[in-house]
Amino acid sequence: MIFNTWAYYLFFLIPSAVLFRLSPPRLRPWVIILGGSLFFLFFSYTALGGLIPAACLGIFLWESITSRFYRPKFWFCWVGVMQAVILLFVFKYWNFFVALAWFHAEQKPYWTHAFLPLGISFFTFEFIHYAVDRKQGETEAGTLGEYLAFILFFPTMVAGPIKRYQQFLPKLRAELAEWPQDWHRGITRILTGLAKKFAIADVLTAYTNHLNVADIAVANRAILPLWLLAYGMKIYTDFSAYSDIAIGSARLFGIPIPENFDWPYLQTNIAQFWRHWHISLTSWLMDYVYIPLGGSRVSPGRVYLNVITTMLISGIWHGAGINFVLWGLWHGVALGIHRAYRRLRPVPQNPPPVSQFGSWLLTFVTANLGWAFFSMDVHTALFFFRRLFVG
Amino acid sequence: MKPLTWLTQSLEFLGGANDMPPVAFPAITNALFWGVWWGVLSLVIYMFCGQSSKFIYIDF
Repeated sequence: MIFNTWAYYLFFLIPSAVLFRLSPPRLRPWVIILGGSLFFLFFSYTALGGLIPAACLGIFLWESITSRFYRPKFWFCWVGVMQAVILLFVFKYWNFFVALAWFHAEQKPYWTHAFLPLGISFFTFEFIHYAVDRKQGETEAGTLGEYLAFILFFPTMVAGPIKRYQQFLPKLRAELAEWPQDWHRGITRILTGLAKKFAIADVLTAYTNHLNVADIAVANRAILPLWLLAYGMKIYTDFSAYSDIAIGSARLFGIPIPENFDWPYLQTNIAQFWRHWHISLTSWLMDYVYIPLGGSRVSPGRVYLNVITTMLISGIWHGAGINFVLWGLWHGVALGIHRAYRRLRPVPQNPPPVSQFGSWLLTFVTANLGWAFFSMDVHTALFFFRRLFVG
Repeated sequence: MKPLTWLTQSLEFLGGANDMPPVAFPAITNALFWGVWWGVLSLVIYMFCGQSSKFIYIDF
Protein backbone atom coordinates (compact mmCIF):
# COMPACT_ATOMS: atom_id res chain seq x y z
CA MET A 1 0.00 0.00 0.00
CA ILE A 2 1.73 3.17 1.32
CA PHE A 3 1.80 5.16 -1.95
CA ASN A 4 -1.95 4.79 -2.36
CA THR A 5 -2.80 6.02 1.13
CA TRP A 6 -3.78 9.53 2.18
CA ALA A 7 -1.36 9.25 5.10
CA TYR A 8 1.60 9.11 2.74
CA TYR A 9 0.72 12.39 1.05
CA LEU A 10 -0.76 14.35 3.97
CA PHE A 11 1.54 13.31 6.82
CA PHE A 12 4.80 12.60 5.03
CA LEU A 13 5.33 13.70 1.44
CA ILE A 14 3.90 17.21 1.38
CA PRO A 15 5.11 18.33 4.85
CA SER A 16 8.58 16.87 4.33
CA ALA A 17 9.02 18.25 0.82
CA VAL A 18 7.86 21.75 1.86
CA LEU A 19 10.04 21.73 4.98
CA PHE A 20 13.01 20.47 2.96
CA ARG A 21 12.69 23.30 0.47
CA LEU A 22 12.25 25.95 3.16
CA SER A 23 15.18 24.72 5.26
CA PRO A 24 18.73 26.07 5.00
CA PRO A 25 21.08 23.63 3.18
CA ARG A 26 22.83 22.39 6.36
CA LEU A 27 19.50 21.26 7.83
CA ARG A 28 18.07 19.59 4.72
CA PRO A 29 19.60 16.14 5.33
CA TRP A 30 18.10 16.15 8.82
CA VAL A 31 14.66 16.98 7.41
CA ILE A 32 14.94 13.87 5.25
CA ILE A 33 16.20 11.81 8.19
CA LEU A 34 13.32 12.95 10.40
CA GLY A 35 10.73 12.37 7.66
CA GLY A 36 12.25 9.02 6.69
CA SER A 37 12.45 7.76 10.28
CA LEU A 38 8.84 8.72 11.01
CA PHE A 39 7.79 7.16 7.68
CA PHE A 40 9.55 3.90 8.55
CA LEU A 41 8.11 3.77 12.06
CA PHE A 42 4.57 4.69 10.98
CA PHE A 43 4.26 2.27 8.06
CA SER A 44 6.16 -0.54 9.79
CA TYR A 45 3.81 -0.22 12.75
CA THR A 46 0.59 0.11 10.75
CA ALA A 47 1.32 -2.06 7.70
CA LEU A 48 3.64 -4.73 9.13
CA GLY A 49 1.88 -4.97 12.43
CA GLY A 50 3.68 -3.82 15.48
CA LEU A 51 6.61 -2.52 17.40
CA ILE A 52 9.13 -5.19 16.42
CA PRO A 53 9.07 -4.38 12.66
CA ALA A 54 9.25 -0.69 13.57
CA ALA A 55 12.23 -1.36 15.83
CA CYS A 56 14.12 -2.66 12.79
CA LEU A 57 14.92 0.97 12.08
CA GLY A 58 17.66 0.43 14.64
CA ILE A 59 19.25 -2.22 12.43
CA PHE A 60 19.46 0.14 9.46
CA LEU A 61 20.77 2.95 11.67
CA TRP A 62 23.44 0.54 12.93
CA GLU A 63 24.43 -0.36 9.38
CA SER A 64 24.59 3.34 8.53
CA ILE A 65 26.80 4.11 11.52
CA THR A 66 29.23 1.29 10.73
CA SER A 67 29.54 2.71 7.23
CA ARG A 68 31.34 5.70 8.75
CA PHE A 69 34.40 3.46 9.16
CA TYR A 70 34.65 2.59 5.47
CA ARG A 71 37.81 3.81 3.77
CA PRO A 72 39.31 3.17 0.33
CA LYS A 73 41.09 -0.23 0.24
CA PHE A 74 40.04 -0.94 3.84
CA TRP A 75 38.94 -4.54 4.55
CA PHE A 76 36.24 -3.32 6.92
CA CYS A 77 34.09 -2.43 3.90
CA TRP A 78 33.56 -6.17 3.43
CA VAL A 79 32.13 -6.32 6.96
CA GLY A 80 29.50 -3.86 5.77
CA VAL A 81 28.72 -6.02 2.74
CA MET A 82 28.54 -9.17 4.86
CA GLN A 83 26.29 -7.70 7.53
CA ALA A 84 23.88 -6.42 4.86
CA VAL A 85 23.78 -9.82 3.16
CA ILE A 86 23.44 -11.75 6.44
CA LEU A 87 20.57 -9.56 7.64
CA LEU A 88 18.77 -10.01 4.32
CA PHE A 89 19.37 -13.76 4.52
CA VAL A 90 17.99 -14.04 8.04
CA PHE A 91 14.86 -12.00 7.42
CA LYS A 92 14.02 -13.03 3.89
CA TYR A 93 15.52 -16.47 3.23
CA TRP A 94 15.82 -18.25 6.58
CA ASN A 95 12.67 -20.36 6.20
CA PHE A 96 13.37 -20.97 2.51
CA PHE A 97 16.82 -22.42 3.16
CA VAL A 98 15.65 -24.29 6.25
CA ALA A 99 13.08 -26.06 4.08
CA LEU A 100 15.84 -27.01 1.64
CA ALA A 101 18.55 -27.92 4.16
CA TRP A 102 16.32 -29.88 6.56
CA PHE A 103 14.43 -31.51 3.71
CA HIS A 104 14.05 -34.91 5.41
CA ALA A 105 13.80 -33.71 9.00
CA GLU A 106 10.45 -33.86 10.74
CA GLN A 107 11.24 -30.93 13.02
CA LYS A 108 12.59 -28.03 10.99
CA PRO A 109 14.01 -24.94 12.75
CA TYR A 110 11.57 -22.56 11.08
CA TRP A 111 11.23 -18.96 12.20
CA THR A 112 7.52 -19.13 12.83
CA HIS A 113 6.87 -15.40 13.20
CA ALA A 114 9.17 -14.31 10.39
CA PHE A 115 8.56 -10.89 8.88
CA LEU A 116 10.29 -8.63 6.39
CA PRO A 117 11.42 -5.23 7.67
CA LEU A 118 10.15 -2.46 5.45
CA GLY A 119 12.35 -2.02 2.38
CA ILE A 120 15.09 -4.43 3.49
CA SER A 121 15.66 -5.78 -0.04
CA PHE A 122 16.35 -2.27 -1.33
CA PHE A 123 18.25 -1.09 1.76
CA THR A 124 20.58 -4.05 1.24
CA PHE A 125 21.46 -3.00 -2.31
CA GLU A 126 22.22 0.56 -1.27
CA PHE A 127 24.34 -0.55 1.70
CA ILE A 128 26.35 -2.92 -0.51
CA HIS A 129 26.74 -0.26 -3.22
CA TYR A 130 28.14 2.24 -0.72
CA ALA A 131 30.49 -0.25 0.96
CA VAL A 132 31.94 -1.49 -2.34
CA ASP A 133 32.27 1.97 -3.87
CA ARG A 134 33.94 3.32 -0.72
CA LYS A 135 36.41 0.43 -0.78
CA GLN A 136 37.20 1.15 -4.41
CA GLY A 137 37.46 4.88 -3.73
CA GLU A 138 34.66 5.64 -6.15
CA THR A 139 32.62 7.78 -3.80
CA GLU A 140 33.32 10.29 -1.08
CA ALA A 141 32.17 9.54 2.44
CA GLY A 142 29.96 12.56 2.97
CA THR A 143 28.78 13.36 6.49
CA LEU A 144 26.76 11.00 8.67
CA GLY A 145 23.73 13.22 8.05
CA GLU A 146 24.18 13.05 4.29
CA TYR A 147 24.56 9.27 4.34
CA LEU A 148 21.54 8.81 6.59
CA ALA A 149 19.56 11.09 4.26
CA PHE A 150 20.60 8.84 1.35
CA ILE A 151 19.44 5.72 3.19
CA LEU A 152 16.28 7.17 4.75
CA PHE A 153 15.04 9.15 1.72
CA PHE A 154 11.52 7.76 1.98
CA PRO A 155 10.25 8.12 -1.61
CA THR A 156 12.67 5.35 -2.59
CA MET A 157 12.86 3.51 0.71
CA VAL A 158 10.33 0.75 0.17
CA ALA A 159 10.83 -0.41 -3.42
CA GLY A 160 13.40 1.81 -5.09
CA PRO A 161 14.43 2.95 -7.63
CA ILE A 162 17.83 1.91 -6.30
CA LYS A 163 19.88 5.09 -5.94
CA ARG A 164 23.62 5.71 -6.16
CA TYR A 165 25.31 7.82 -3.50
CA GLN A 166 27.53 9.63 -6.02
CA GLN A 167 24.45 10.87 -7.86
CA PHE A 168 22.36 11.59 -4.77
CA LEU A 169 24.93 13.64 -2.84
CA PRO A 170 25.38 16.50 -5.35
CA LYS A 171 21.61 16.86 -5.61
CA LEU A 172 21.32 16.98 -1.84
CA ARG A 173 23.93 19.72 -1.65
CA ALA A 174 22.81 21.69 -4.71
CA GLU A 175 20.93 24.94 -4.52
CA LEU A 176 17.24 24.25 -4.96
CA ALA A 177 15.64 26.07 -7.83
CA GLU A 178 12.62 25.75 -10.04
CA TRP A 179 10.17 24.98 -7.26
CA PRO A 180 7.16 25.52 -9.60
CA GLN A 181 8.66 23.38 -12.36
CA ASP A 182 9.62 20.57 -9.97
CA TRP A 183 6.19 20.52 -8.32
CA HIS A 184 4.40 20.73 -11.66
CA ARG A 185 6.27 17.78 -13.10
CA GLY A 186 6.31 15.89 -9.80
CA ILE A 187 2.55 16.17 -9.25
CA THR A 188 1.90 15.19 -12.89
CA ARG A 189 4.09 12.12 -12.44
CA ILE A 190 2.38 11.12 -9.18
CA LEU A 191 -1.12 11.52 -10.64
CA THR A 192 -0.08 9.50 -13.70
CA GLY A 193 1.30 6.76 -11.47
CA LEU A 194 -1.86 6.60 -9.35
CA ALA A 195 -4.09 6.56 -12.46
CA LYS A 196 -1.97 3.79 -13.98
CA LYS A 197 -2.12 1.78 -10.77
CA PHE A 198 -5.87 2.10 -10.18
CA ALA A 199 -7.23 2.12 -13.73
CA ILE A 200 -4.96 -0.48 -15.33
CA ALA A 201 -3.00 -2.59 -12.82
CA ASP A 202 -5.83 -3.06 -10.34
CA VAL A 203 -8.39 -3.72 -13.08
CA LEU A 204 -6.18 -6.48 -14.51
CA THR A 205 -6.24 -8.21 -11.12
CA ALA A 206 -9.67 -9.60 -12.06
CA TYR A 207 -7.92 -11.64 -14.78
CA THR A 208 -4.69 -12.50 -13.00
CA ASN A 209 -6.60 -13.95 -10.03
CA HIS A 210 -7.42 -16.90 -12.30
CA LEU A 211 -3.80 -18.05 -12.30
CA ASN A 212 -4.43 -20.95 -9.91
CA VAL A 213 -4.71 -24.71 -10.38
CA ALA A 214 -8.50 -24.87 -10.05
CA ASP A 215 -9.21 -22.19 -12.65
CA ILE A 216 -6.46 -23.33 -15.03
CA ALA A 217 -7.84 -26.90 -14.94
CA VAL A 218 -11.29 -25.93 -16.19
CA ALA A 219 -10.42 -22.95 -18.41
CA ASN A 220 -10.61 -22.94 -22.17
CA ARG A 221 -7.00 -23.23 -23.41
CA ALA A 222 -7.42 -20.13 -25.55
CA ILE A 223 -7.93 -17.97 -22.46
CA LEU A 224 -4.73 -19.12 -20.70
CA PRO A 225 -2.28 -16.93 -22.65
CA LEU A 226 -4.58 -13.95 -22.06
CA TRP A 227 -4.44 -14.47 -18.30
CA LEU A 228 -0.65 -14.63 -18.45
CA LEU A 229 -0.53 -11.58 -20.69
CA ALA A 230 -2.76 -9.78 -18.19
CA TYR A 231 -0.20 -10.60 -15.49
CA GLY A 232 2.62 -9.28 -17.70
CA MET A 233 0.74 -6.03 -18.18
CA LYS A 234 -0.27 -5.85 -14.55
CA ILE A 235 3.23 -6.23 -13.15
CA TYR A 236 4.53 -3.66 -15.63
CA THR A 237 1.84 -1.07 -14.94
CA ASP A 238 1.92 -1.79 -11.22
CA PHE A 239 5.66 -1.41 -10.73
CA SER A 240 6.11 1.38 -13.24
CA ALA A 241 3.23 3.18 -11.48
CA TYR A 242 5.06 2.68 -8.20
CA SER A 243 8.24 4.05 -9.76
CA ASP A 244 6.32 7.01 -11.21
CA ILE A 245 5.06 7.91 -7.75
CA ALA A 246 8.51 7.45 -6.18
CA ILE A 247 10.22 9.57 -8.84
CA GLY A 248 7.46 12.19 -8.73
CA SER A 249 7.67 12.32 -4.93
CA ALA A 250 11.45 12.81 -5.07
CA ARG A 251 10.92 15.59 -7.60
CA LEU A 252 8.86 17.50 -5.02
CA PHE A 253 12.04 17.62 -2.93
CA GLY A 254 13.97 18.76 -6.02
CA ILE A 255 16.01 15.53 -6.00
CA PRO A 256 16.03 13.57 -9.27
CA ILE A 257 16.37 9.81 -8.87
CA PRO A 258 17.05 7.11 -11.48
CA GLU A 259 14.37 5.95 -13.89
CA ASN A 260 13.22 2.34 -13.64
CA PHE A 261 11.36 1.67 -16.89
CA ASP A 262 11.79 2.77 -20.49
CA TRP A 263 9.17 0.97 -22.59
CA PRO A 264 10.52 -2.55 -21.98
CA TYR A 265 7.74 -4.28 -23.91
CA LEU A 266 8.71 -2.41 -27.09
CA GLN A 267 12.23 -3.85 -27.15
CA THR A 268 13.37 -6.22 -29.87
CA ASN A 269 15.66 -8.55 -27.94
CA ILE A 270 15.85 -9.90 -24.41
CA ALA A 271 19.09 -8.05 -23.60
CA GLN A 272 17.42 -4.76 -24.55
CA PHE A 273 14.38 -5.79 -22.52
CA TRP A 274 16.54 -6.04 -19.41
CA ARG A 275 18.19 -2.68 -20.14
CA HIS A 276 14.70 -1.14 -20.08
CA TRP A 277 13.01 -3.18 -17.31
CA HIS A 278 13.71 -2.30 -13.67
CA ILE A 279 16.71 -0.34 -14.90
CA SER A 280 18.09 0.56 -11.49
CA LEU A 281 18.15 -3.14 -10.49
CA THR A 282 19.69 -4.27 -13.77
CA SER A 283 22.44 -1.69 -13.54
CA TRP A 284 23.09 -2.62 -9.89
CA LEU A 285 23.38 -6.31 -10.83
CA MET A 286 25.71 -5.41 -13.68
CA ASP A 287 28.01 -3.35 -11.44
CA TYR A 288 28.01 -5.49 -8.29
CA VAL A 289 27.49 -9.04 -9.57
CA TYR A 290 28.12 -9.48 -13.30
CA ILE A 291 31.27 -7.35 -13.66
CA PRO A 292 32.91 -8.62 -10.42
CA LEU A 293 32.32 -12.16 -11.72
CA GLY A 294 34.36 -11.22 -14.77
CA GLY A 295 31.60 -9.86 -16.98
CA SER A 296 32.29 -10.30 -20.66
CA ARG A 297 36.10 -10.22 -20.31
CA VAL A 298 36.48 -13.93 -19.64
CA SER A 299 36.23 -17.06 -21.75
CA PRO A 300 32.94 -17.51 -23.66
CA GLY A 301 31.87 -20.35 -21.39
CA ARG A 302 32.44 -18.25 -18.29
CA VAL A 303 30.49 -15.35 -19.80
CA TYR A 304 27.42 -17.57 -20.17
CA LEU A 305 27.91 -18.79 -16.61
CA ASN A 306 28.18 -15.17 -15.40
CA VAL A 307 24.98 -14.21 -17.20
CA ILE A 308 23.05 -17.14 -15.74
CA THR A 309 24.49 -16.62 -12.25
CA THR A 310 23.52 -12.93 -12.34
CA MET A 311 19.98 -13.73 -13.38
CA LEU A 312 19.70 -16.48 -10.78
CA ILE A 313 20.65 -13.95 -8.10
CA SER A 314 18.09 -11.57 -9.58
CA GLY A 315 15.50 -14.34 -9.37
CA ILE A 316 16.21 -15.32 -5.76
CA TRP A 317 16.28 -11.65 -4.76
CA HIS A 318 12.76 -11.24 -6.09
CA GLY A 319 11.44 -13.89 -3.75
CA ALA A 320 12.35 -16.79 -1.51
CA GLY A 321 10.94 -19.59 -3.66
CA ILE A 322 12.00 -22.13 -6.26
CA ASN A 323 9.66 -20.45 -8.76
CA PHE A 324 11.72 -17.25 -8.56
CA VAL A 325 14.91 -19.27 -9.08
CA LEU A 326 13.34 -20.77 -12.22
CA TRP A 327 12.24 -17.30 -13.36
CA GLY A 328 15.84 -16.10 -13.05
CA LEU A 329 17.07 -19.21 -14.84
CA TRP A 330 14.53 -18.64 -17.63
CA HIS A 331 15.91 -15.18 -18.30
CA GLY A 332 19.52 -16.26 -17.83
CA VAL A 333 19.11 -18.97 -20.46
CA ALA A 334 17.23 -16.57 -22.77
CA LEU A 335 20.04 -14.02 -22.45
CA GLY A 336 22.59 -16.75 -23.11
CA ILE A 337 20.78 -17.91 -26.23
CA HIS A 338 20.50 -14.33 -27.44
CA ARG A 339 24.22 -13.79 -26.85
CA ALA A 340 25.14 -16.98 -28.71
CA TYR A 341 22.86 -16.04 -31.61
CA ARG A 342 24.38 -12.57 -31.85
CA ARG A 343 27.88 -14.07 -32.00
CA LEU A 344 26.78 -16.11 -35.00
CA ARG A 345 24.68 -13.39 -36.63
CA PRO A 346 25.60 -9.80 -35.69
CA VAL A 347 22.82 -7.20 -35.79
CA PRO A 348 22.32 -5.98 -39.37
CA GLN A 349 22.57 -2.21 -40.01
CA ASN A 350 18.98 -1.74 -41.11
CA PRO A 351 16.89 -4.81 -40.36
CA PRO A 352 13.71 -5.06 -42.45
CA PRO A 353 10.42 -4.28 -40.65
CA VAL A 354 9.32 -7.92 -40.80
CA SER A 355 12.51 -8.97 -39.06
CA GLN A 356 12.09 -6.24 -36.44
CA PHE A 357 8.52 -7.29 -35.80
CA GLY A 358 9.58 -10.93 -35.46
CA SER A 359 12.30 -9.94 -32.98
CA TRP A 360 9.85 -7.86 -30.98
CA LEU A 361 7.29 -10.68 -30.91
CA LEU A 362 9.85 -13.24 -29.78
CA THR A 363 11.07 -10.93 -27.02
CA PHE A 364 7.53 -10.11 -25.91
CA VAL A 365 6.50 -13.78 -25.80
CA THR A 366 9.70 -14.83 -23.99
CA ALA A 367 9.31 -12.16 -21.30
CA ASN A 368 5.63 -12.90 -20.81
CA LEU A 369 6.02 -16.69 -20.67
CA GLY A 370 8.61 -16.11 -17.96
CA TRP A 371 5.97 -14.42 -15.79
CA ALA A 372 4.38 -17.85 -15.30
CA PHE A 373 7.21 -18.68 -12.86
CA PHE A 374 6.98 -15.26 -11.23
CA SER A 375 3.23 -15.33 -10.68
CA MET A 376 2.67 -18.96 -9.72
CA ASP A 377 4.41 -21.62 -7.65
CA VAL A 378 6.36 -24.25 -9.58
CA HIS A 379 3.62 -26.87 -9.50
CA THR A 380 0.99 -24.41 -10.79
CA ALA A 381 3.31 -22.93 -13.41
CA LEU A 382 4.19 -26.37 -14.81
CA PHE A 383 0.50 -27.30 -14.84
CA PHE A 384 -0.20 -24.02 -16.66
CA PHE A 385 2.40 -24.86 -19.34
CA ARG A 386 1.06 -28.41 -19.67
CA ARG A 387 -2.47 -27.15 -20.23
CA LEU A 388 -1.24 -24.39 -22.55
CA PHE A 389 0.95 -26.54 -24.80
CA VAL A 390 -0.34 -30.10 -24.37
CA GLY A 391 -4.00 -29.79 -23.49
CA MET B 1 10.87 11.29 -35.99
CA LYS B 2 9.15 7.91 -36.14
CA PRO B 3 5.48 7.91 -35.10
CA LEU B 4 6.13 5.40 -32.31
CA THR B 5 8.96 7.50 -30.89
CA TRP B 6 6.80 10.61 -31.08
CA LEU B 7 3.97 8.80 -29.31
CA THR B 8 6.16 7.49 -26.49
CA GLN B 9 7.79 10.89 -25.96
CA SER B 10 4.40 12.59 -25.94
CA LEU B 11 3.12 10.13 -23.32
CA GLU B 12 6.27 10.67 -21.26
CA PHE B 13 5.69 14.44 -21.39
CA LEU B 14 2.03 14.10 -20.42
CA GLY B 15 3.00 11.65 -17.67
CA GLY B 16 5.60 13.96 -16.15
CA ALA B 17 8.61 11.83 -17.10
CA ASN B 18 9.96 14.33 -19.64
CA ASP B 19 10.13 18.06 -19.07
CA MET B 20 10.06 18.93 -22.75
CA PRO B 21 7.50 17.81 -25.33
CA PRO B 22 8.62 16.22 -28.60
CA VAL B 23 8.79 18.35 -31.70
CA ALA B 24 5.43 19.03 -33.31
CA PHE B 25 3.62 18.47 -30.02
CA PRO B 26 0.47 20.66 -30.01
CA ALA B 27 1.28 24.06 -28.48
CA ILE B 28 -1.52 23.96 -25.94
CA THR B 29 0.47 23.25 -22.81
CA ASN B 30 -0.64 26.26 -20.80
CA ALA B 31 -1.98 26.35 -17.24
CA LEU B 32 -5.52 25.62 -18.42
CA PHE B 33 -4.34 22.54 -20.31
CA TRP B 34 -2.53 21.17 -17.29
CA GLY B 35 -5.46 21.98 -15.04
CA VAL B 36 -7.76 19.96 -17.30
CA TRP B 37 -5.19 17.15 -17.56
CA TRP B 38 -4.78 16.93 -13.79
CA GLY B 39 -8.57 16.93 -13.54
CA VAL B 40 -8.84 14.01 -15.96
CA LEU B 41 -6.19 12.04 -14.06
CA SER B 42 -7.87 12.82 -10.74
CA LEU B 43 -11.23 11.69 -12.14
CA VAL B 44 -9.70 8.41 -13.34
CA ILE B 45 -8.13 7.90 -9.91
CA TYR B 46 -11.44 8.65 -8.18
CA MET B 47 -13.37 6.28 -10.47
CA PHE B 48 -11.04 3.33 -10.05
CA CYS B 49 -9.67 3.70 -6.52
CA GLY B 50 -10.83 1.59 -3.62
CA GLN B 51 -9.91 -1.77 -5.09
CA SER B 52 -7.34 -2.00 -2.33
CA SER B 53 -4.74 -4.10 -4.10
CA LYS B 54 -1.17 -3.92 -2.92
CA PHE B 55 1.74 -2.87 -5.04
CA ILE B 56 3.31 -6.13 -6.20
CA TYR B 57 6.90 -5.22 -5.55
CA ILE B 58 6.50 -4.17 -1.92
CA ASP B 59 5.61 -7.54 -0.49
CA PHE B 60 7.52 -9.92 -2.67
